[in-house]
This record gives sequence, C-alpha cells and structure tokens, in this order.
Amino acid sequence: MARQSAVDLAEKMRVQAERSGAQEAETYLESSTTTEVRLRQGQVELLQQSIVQGIGLRVFRDRRMGFLYTTDLRDTVLTELVNRTLALTNQATPRDENRIAENLSVSQSDLEIRDPAVAALRPEDLIKLARAAEESAFAQDERIQTTRDVRCGTSVGEIFFSNTFIPRQTYAATSIWLSATPIATQGNQRREGTYEERKRFLSDLARPEQVGQLAVARALARLGAAPVPSARVPVVFAAEAAGMFLRGLFQAFSALNVIEQRSFLAGKVGQQIASSAVTIIDDGTMRRGLGSVYFDGEGVQTHRTVVVDRGVLRQLLHSGPTARRMNTTPTGNGIRSYDSLPTIGPTNFYIDNGSSTHKLVEEVDRGLHVTGLAGFGLDVVSGEYSQQVDGQWIEKGVLTKPVEGVTVAGRLDEMLLGITGVGRDLEFRSNVASPAIRFKELTVGGVA
Amino acid sequence: MPPDRSMSRRDFLRRGALITGALAAGLPEAVSLLHPKVAEGAIMGIGQELRDVLNEETVNRILQEALARGGDAADLFAEQRFRTSIVLDAGKIDSVTYGYPRGAGVRVVRRNQTGYAFSDEISYSSLLDAARIASSVVETQSRTNPIDVRLRNVEPPFTLVNPEPLMLEATKLGILQRMDAAARSTDPRIVSVRIDYMDETRDVLIGTSEGVYVLDRQYLTSVACSVAAQAAGKRASGLATLGGRIDSGYFEHVSPEAAARDAARQALRLLDAGPAPAGPMPVVVAPGWGGVLIHESLGHALEADGIRRGTSLLAGLAGTRVASPLVRVVDDARWPNGRGSYAFDDEGTPGQRTVAVEGGVIQSYLIDKQSGRLMTLRSTGNARRMSYRNWPIPRMTNTYLDVGTSDPSSLLSGITKGFYAAELAGGSVETTSGNFNFTVHEGYWIENGKLTRPVRGAVLVGNSLETMQRIEGIGTDLRVEQTRGTCGKDGQMVPVGVGQPTVRFSSMTVGGPSI
Repeated sequence: MARQSAVDLAEKMRVQAERSGAQEAETYLESSTTTEVRLRQGQVELLQQSIVQGIGLRVFRDRRMGFLYTTDLRDTVLTELVNRTLALTNQATPRDENRIAENLSVSQSDLEIRDPAVAALRPEDLIKLARAAEESAFAQDERIQTTRDVRCGTSVGEIFFSNTFIPRQTYAATSIWLSATPIATQGNQRREGTYEERKRFLSDLARPEQVGQLAVARALARLGAAPVPSARVPVVFAAEAAGMFLRGLFQAFSALNVIEQRSFLAGKVGQQIASSAVTIIDDGTMRRGLGSVYFDGEGVQTHRTVVVDRGVLRQLLHSGPTARRMNTTPTGNGIRSYDSLPTIGPTNFYIDNGSSTHKLVEEVDRGLHVTGLAGFGLDVVSGEYSQQVDGQWIEKGVLTKPVEGVTVAGRLDEMLLGITGVGRDLEFRSNVASPAIRFKELTVGGVA
Repeated sequence: MPPDRSMSRRDFLRRGALITGALAAGLPEAVSLLHPKVAEGAIMGIGQELRDVLNEETVNRILQEALARGGDAADLFAEQRFRTSIVLDAGKIDSVTYGYPRGAGVRVVRRNQTGYAFSDEISYSSLLDAARIASSVVETQSRTNPIDVRLRNVEPPFTLVNPEPLMLEATKLGILQRMDAAARSTDPRIVSVRIDYMDETRDVLIGTSEGVYVLDRQYLTSVACSVAAQAAGKRASGLATLGGRIDSGYFEHVSPEAAARDAARQALRLLDAGPAPAGPMPVVVAPGWGGVLIHESLGHALEADGIRRGTSLLAGLAGTRVASPLVRVVDDARWPNGRGSYAFDDEGTPGQRTVAVEGGVIQSYLIDKQSGRLMTLRSTGNARRMSYRNWPIPRMTNTYLDVGTSDPSSLLSGITKGFYAAELAGGSVETTSGNFNFTVHEGYWIENGKLTRPVRGAVLVGNSLETMQRIEGIGTDLRVEQTRGTCGKDGQMVPVGVGQPTVRFSSMTVGGPSI
C-alpha cells in the first residue's frame, strides 16, 4: 500500500509545477511490493522482497515537454527537482501534439486485475508452490536429476495518476508467476526446458504439478536434437513460439514507427497484410488480462482494438501524441512505469484463434515444427526475419526427430501473407499470446 | 578518483572551480541545470551524501542485524544515480528527462542461499527492516562476531578529469542537433533519424561483513543514432553509437557528425543489399563489436554461478581445452573508458584483469564472492548488479578475444564462398547446451578471397564448444568496443564492453533466406 504521504507528495509536486510555470502537468505514482523465491534441489536459493515507490512528473510549457522521475521522496529535494525540470523543459522543441489528456471516463466494469488471494500470499506459500513444482519435475523421469531453478513470485501494486484536468485516479493490480526449468541429461548431452505462467489471479495459475510436468516434457523433447539440412519448407510455430514472434512484430504496428517510416507496414493501413486466417487484437480491457488496466500511462482509457481483421490492417496502435498527429483517437497504448515516458506498447496483444480446425502439423508432408526461438532476429524497419530456433522435424504429418542449431528466415510481408493456418490453442501465459500458426514456406538454415 | 578524504578535498577544489568558472563565464545554467545533489555532491565529495546517512558505525549495526540469525556473510549496497536523457526524433528535441533513482539493499548469504531486501528510502530504520527481511532466508544459530568496516582506498582504473555527464545541457543538445543534421544531409533517401542520449553519474557505497567499506562515483555516457533509409518500397536501418565512461574532451577527438554519417551510409548500403545466404560456410567476423560472439559463446558459460551449480557446459572443465589453441579470452574491468570498467565491483572487490582462457584452455572463471566461497576460489571482482534493487551475480566487464598474429586481410584469402559479418546487432546463449546466436546487421559475400556483394542481416548460430574449435585465424587488429553493449542476465541489465580482432571460422551456420 502506498503511504498516504507519497500520494499527497505526488499531488503537491504537480501543483507546484503548475504554480511555477507549467501550463499542464501530470504525476504518476507507482507503489508495489514484489516477493520472489527461487528454489533448487529442494532448497531456497533466493528470497527477495522489495518495496518500490517512485514518482514520474511530466511538465508541459508552451508545448514543450520535460520529465522527471525519482524514488527520493524527501520533501526538500522534490521542490528543487521540480524547478530544475521546468528549467530543462525550455530546452525541448515545441510540438503541437504535446498535450495531456483532458478527461478520462474509466470503465465501470470490473476488470478483475487485483486478486486479494495473491496479495495475501506469504513467502512460505510461494516456497510451497515452487517446491511442489520441482518435486513434480523430478518425479516425471529419471533423466531429470537437476533443475536450473524453480521460481515463484508475486507483485502487488497500485497506480495513482492525476493531471491538470483529471483529478486523482487509482487502481490496484496483482500478478503471480511460477516457472520451472528442469535439466534433462542423456549421455553427455544436457538440455533444459522452461515452462512459465504469469497470471493476475491465483486461481488461474496452473497447478504446480502441471508446471513441473510441462517443463519436463519440454526438456526431454530436446534430447538428441541435431541440425537438419537447409531447405525451403512449411514451418509451424507452436503457440508459445508464435507468441514470441508476435511480441517482436508488435513494433511494426506502432503508429510512431509507421509515421516515422520505421515500419515495413508504413502506408499499408486498409490493405491486406496477412492471410485472411489472421486477426490480431490488442485488448486492454480483457477480464483478468495481464496487460489489462483501467487507463494507460497518459490517463487514456484502455480499449479493445482490432488491429488486423481477417488479414486487413485496420488500425495502428497509438499513444496520445501519435493519435493527435494522425488526427485520430488514442488507443490506450501509452505504456510506462514511473521512471519512463509513455511509449507505444502492447496491453493484451494476440492473434485470435482460428475459425477452422486446421491440422497444422498433420497437413505438412515435410517441414519444421518450431517450439523455441532465441535471440533477436525480427527487423521491423526492413521487414527481414532470421532467427535461431529449435523444435521437431515433420515427416508426413508426424513429428519425427528433435532439431536444434538451425535458423528460419523470410521476409515478414511474405510470411504474414503466407500464413496457411491458425490453430485454436490461444492461451495467455503472458500479455502477448498466439495460437499455433503455419507459414507456407520459410528458409531453414542448417547443415549442408 | 579514489574515495578517500584527502582526494575528495582535491575533488572539491577542482569541481568547485568548474562550477564557479562556468558561472564567471556567464553560463548560469551550469549551476541551475545541474542536479542539486550532483552539484552538492561535487562539492561535498564522492558518496558523501550516502555516507552522511550510512557512516561506518551505522553500516556495522545494519550488518550485525543482517547476520543476527546466522549466515556466512552480509553486505549493504547504497546507490544514487543522476541521469539525463534526451531524445531527438524527426528533427525535434522530443523529450528531456532527469532521473534520480536512489536506494539501498541488504543481502545475507549462507552457502548457496541468498536473502535480499531493499528500500527506496535510505535511512537507518528502513535498512534495519531490510536486514531483517533478508536474514529470514537463514534459520540457524545466531552469530555475534562484531563487524568493523573500514574505509578502503581503491585504485581507479582510469581518471576522468572533466567527466562528460557534467557538461552543460546546452552542449549535449548541440551534439545531438549536429548529428541529426549530418545524418539527414547525407542523402535524400534518409527518411528518419532518431538520437537517444543518456548520461549518468552513479555514486555507490558498499559495506560488507568482511570489513570492507568503499565509496565510488562512476560516470557513463551513451549516444545512439538510428537512421532509416527508404527507396523503391525498400527500407533499411543504420546505427552508430558513441560514448563510454568518457571525459568531455571525447567529442573533440570523436566527430559526432562522422558517426551520424556512418549510420546513414550503412542504411543506404543495406537498401541495395541482397538476401543473406543460408547454411554452413566459412565465416569471418569484423573486429570490435564482433566480440559479442566471444561474450555469448564462452563468456556467459564462464560465469561462476553456472559453474558451481553445474548448469554451465563449462562446469568442471577448468584446465581443459575448450577452444582452438589460438584463443585467449580476457575480461578486464580496468580497460580505459570501457563501459564495463570499475574500480571495484558491486561487492566491494577491486576490479581486475582476468585471463579466462589461454591457448584454448580455461584458466579462470569469472567469480563473485558467494561462488568463490563455495568453490574455494577468490573472487575475481566480477560481481555486478543492475541497481540497488538487485542482488549481485557474476557478470562480465569488458571481455575480449585477445590479439592474434594474422594480417586481417589475409584471413579472407582461400575462401571461395563465405560470409563476412561486418556489423553485428546482438546475441544470446543458453549456457546449459552452449547453443548460441548472434545477429548480423550488415554482411558481405566472400568470393574467391574478396569481399563482394553486400547482404542484409541474418542470424548466425552455433554451439560454443564446436564453434570455438573452428577458429582458424585471429587478426592483429584488436578493438574493444566502448560505445555500446548492454548485457542482460536474470533480468539484470549492465553495461559491458566486448572486443576482438578480425576472426575466421572454418564453418558456421548462416541463417539467411537464400539457399
């Protein structure tokens, strides 16, 4: 819980900025308590508890913007900091779009983003969950003799927002996470597998036994993996890999990147950019969504936005300033924490479940099933894609052997238009998710 | 700038002169725009503001409380940063930011167990609370050895006479505007220029149950110029970076305009570049930032936490050959102006130069105190943390593949068809398997011993042990990159340096789209 003094201080800073020459000002106070335990071989390796309380202050003078953030809430320091930030603001360039939200009508419906049961968990409870997950991992298979670790944590936070026009707004949110990384050993080959879930509500979290079991399945699936020869073949991204791919793709839908010609999707609004099997949605109002909030970092109400509708790019994602530049309404994607300016980011961003029951793997004669992605390989400016992957080789619709040490590559525009199937296994384990998707043909780089 | 009293007096005189000199020159913003605490700190001496609250006696009492329930060791880490960030985008100063994060954390360690708690508020009472929470990880008999921390003098790796972060804001803005103009004027096909500037002054205070008490101030500057070019429906990007732990005189030797033009030209070259090849082939990697390769393929696997836990593929291989005999890997916390340089690490151990691999054989791991205690080895001064909100873990500093004997141009000869990695973007590794990747932003075909056509980016992949055996030539042109490099591990980001000379691999898998 935020100390009342901190909340008052945030208000006081804003008022002081307004009195000292800011025409508009905004404060964003974040207060959160995070606890994490890490367990390994039955023993607690790490117990961390932290209480964070920080304020971000945006000031606007003659359409110039300045920003200050601090965790130093000493009254004497803050007065000085506000004045210096105002002085710094004079150095910025005036921009028409530098304005703050003038009204906010927060949704009346309960987004269910705060779970009292999560807030009530103590470190002992987290240790218990982690222990159950690890024990289950060890019980699965004798090739699991060790884990990298098992992690369980909770975060309980509150946001206080106010600006020159909008009186204080607040919401509280919780999250809980549990992950396991067992290591499978066979001969001298060792491979790890990770399964992680992050939820708003304790009751939505997978049972720890299930987390251990799924993680083990991933580690075992990698044993014996080897590269395959280079080929151009159909490639299926399993749901988790597709979600990671989509997270990288997000920046292409950012209105700022489109305006500044830094996205391969610039100039494509209204056009077919993906196959008609693909619908992409950003929804900040999803019940119990990890990315759901009542208002974004600029005090704009969150929305459900259909970004791509059956392959057609309908809507870019905006912050306040980009919406003003394009003369449209903001989408509530001004994502921030107290120590950063709002930038365009995802709320709950996902590819919607496919409408047909495609047998994504079964229909492939010869191809690759990708379960893991690593590194950085998605360039939204040039639209080039090349990434390290692992998974299984598909032969006549059946997964035949584990594969690693290979790459997949393609051009993003062709890849999206060539999506030949979208699965029905959408499940949110973080705020960006996708069902499995199948690309018509990608280049697999492997051995000769 | 050693943090002892006599030196802070000299500091006081010099900094005092700096500020009053600026005033006399009719630049009142020198004072008005400097953060009050930095201005005050400059006058009061390094870490003084932290020391006012956390003097030796206070630290003794907090650490005593931390070990009240048992444990092998405890430490206190206090930090205050003053950050200035400026974003110039589309020709406009988009935002200017002052950041002032400040806080302290207490850690209790017992064998392989760690308890950590921190507070954003630096006060005796809040840190006593943190000490109690951190100590809850151990449940043994109390130990009451008295703790007596003493101020240590630590030799700094290099001295900054007039650190860049103390420059006037107007001067910093001027550099950004010059870069923007230079990039734009390079070619009409340049459609976007964005420059991200950040500098910080970081004061730290560390006290440990072993009696160490140290104070330091670290400066860091980074400037990144990202350019996009567009023509005939194609887009490409270019990047140039400047900075490091630098003096303000840096920008007299290094031209911001030249860097901006480099970024623009790279974007233009890539507009015309063809697709990268796919499959295994001989690969030559350019010097400098190419050291990401060593960082990913060997560096992470040498960090002592993965070694003592047996999760790294290099665990138990000390004294064993893990790379070509040509390979010598150095981790050097004392590299001049390096992003990863420091006088002492975040556990208070002096930073040092460690030869980790010599003749392809592992000589030393990169060790923190906790791993050192468990492995009965000394810390190599590699414990780092992102901020007071994190506990220290073993990390790299400035890590490079050392200079070789080959003429760099000779490394291309004899390759009929291969890939040259001119500019890298980043990489990652899984230390259990040793499978790693690094992304090339700009590449070239090597045909009959010569660089020919430019190709667009592609990821290169390999397995550490196999790939490191395939190094068949190392150039004489060692460069250590000090302007970029941020390494993430366990959610903690820290600035690092990477480096290498030109290196040739007999084979690596290139992940382009073209077969």
